[in-house]
Amino acid sequence: MDKKEEILKVLSLNLRKVMAGSNLNFEQLQEIRLRVNKPLIVIYKNKEYFINKEYKFDSSKKNAYIVTQNEMRETMEYISNYSLYAFEDEIRQGFITIQGGHRVGVAGKAVTDGDKVKNLKHISFINIRLSHQIQGCATPILPYIMEEELVYHTLIISPPGGGKTTLLRDIIRQISNGAAEGKGTTVGVVDERSEIGACYMGIPQNDLGIRTDILDCCPKAVGMMMLIRSMSPEVIAVDEIGSREDMEALEYAINCGCKLIATVHGSSVDDIINKPLIGRLVKEKIFERYIILNAKRNIGYIETICDSRGTVLFHG
Amino acid sequence: MILKVIGAILTISSCTALGLYFSMEIRTRLKELCELRKYITILRGDIRYGGTPLPEAFKGLAERSPGSFQGFFRYVSQELLLLNGQTFQEIWEIGVKKHLNDTCLNKQDKDNIISLGENLGHLDREMQINTIDLFLSQLEGEINELSIVVKERTKLYNTLGIMSGIFITIIML
Repeated sequence: MDKKEEILKVLSLNLRKVMAGSNLNFEQLQEIRLRVNKPLIVIYKNKEYFINKEYKFDSSKKNAYIVTQNEMRETMEYISNYSLYAFEDEIRQGFITIQGGHRVGVAGKAVTDGDKVKNLKHISFINIRLSHQIQGCATPILPYIMEEELVYHTLIISPPGGGKTTLLRDIIRQISNGAAEGKGTTVGVVDERSEIGACYMGIPQNDLGIRTDILDCCPKAVGMMMLIRSMSPEVIAVDEIGSREDMEALEYAINCGCKLIATVHGSSVDDIINKPLIGRLVKEKIFERYIILNAKRNIGYIETICDSRGTVLFHG
Repeated sequence: MILKVIGAILTISSCTALGLYFSMEIRTRLKELCELRKYITILRGDIRYGGTPLPEAFKGLAERSPGSFQGFFRYVSQELLLLNGQTFQEIWEIGVKKHLNDTCLNKQDKDNIISLGENLGHLDREMQINTIDLFLSQLEGEINELSIVVKERTKLYNTLGIMSGIFITIIML
């Protein structure tokens, strides 16, 4: 199934007509934003557009297609496969991953239990972020994070939407497959939000290589421990680390002799060093390579690669 | 005389068959209600412990239900996967009307099944379980009631069939 089909499938019938009629190239589409009684907005080639009632691209909001509550309900039904209850945990976190690995963020009225969010109802805002698999995007950085067959502890730092998951995915694929003759590495992936492998019923939809084991929808901290015990990976890859439990699990993994590849939100090493939890790991020089992405020029643009002492190895 | 005998035999046998048909229908209904209870209990488990989405759950049910409900479950799971603008409730109701016609379930049973569909799919898991539990307890009541009377009724229908056959024959003679 191609990207266009995957996305159109979860939209309501009317929105499907609008999106299909607009003739856009889904490979270049980044986001679709739906808000009740507000115009339909798409982010296309890094720019924001409206789609008007004649299904044409438009940069002015006059005449823009307005999303109704009914369309929202229908779309939500499709996204959840008519089974919102099955996505309770995901909705509590604010997003659902659909077939193809695309992430659907939702907001509405929160139902709380004490200070915990129990569920979301009256979902009135949806943001569909398309996942892009760019095979080969990690090729230029591989020589910096690997020495012969040994992988360095690597941290990918990038602002949201900077392409870190895409980069991580390709790194995993390449080190897992190995070079044509060389030996690949066993990689364990804890895919808490089903974004890296985009597993659908347990089967990864994205190519993560031939030596990769994926623990899908599992909290990172628990998942890393589980993988180390069960699948004996040489490299562990996780996306968006941040919590205290994550840090403890990272240290555990390092003590077990596993190499780590992780991503984190941020703009530079200095920015990360000031964060209380991850900052400590940086100060202790646990990570041997930092890859800093900057989306200002274009998504996935590699600004610098430096080592644990801050020596710049590569400048984009 | 021969004609009269043949006529008498035909009348008695057809009336007996009618009686047997009615008694069989009531037994089949009981059997089907028990079957339905089994499948809905499986569905409940799928939702409760597996968090399985409905299309997948019904597909699983269709695969392991060789009986009268296979067509119905298969229809529902296939339609749900089409995502063609219908709500779950609509698909479910059409499924009941189209695919449960060959069963011995009566109108009340079908109405109960339809009303189960009104609350499936949305809300949280707890609510789903409660809805299914309510349906199961209704079903349980129906099954208990029926299994108490099923013996008497089948006997009644059988005897009534034979007796009415004999009665009509006597009148005609």
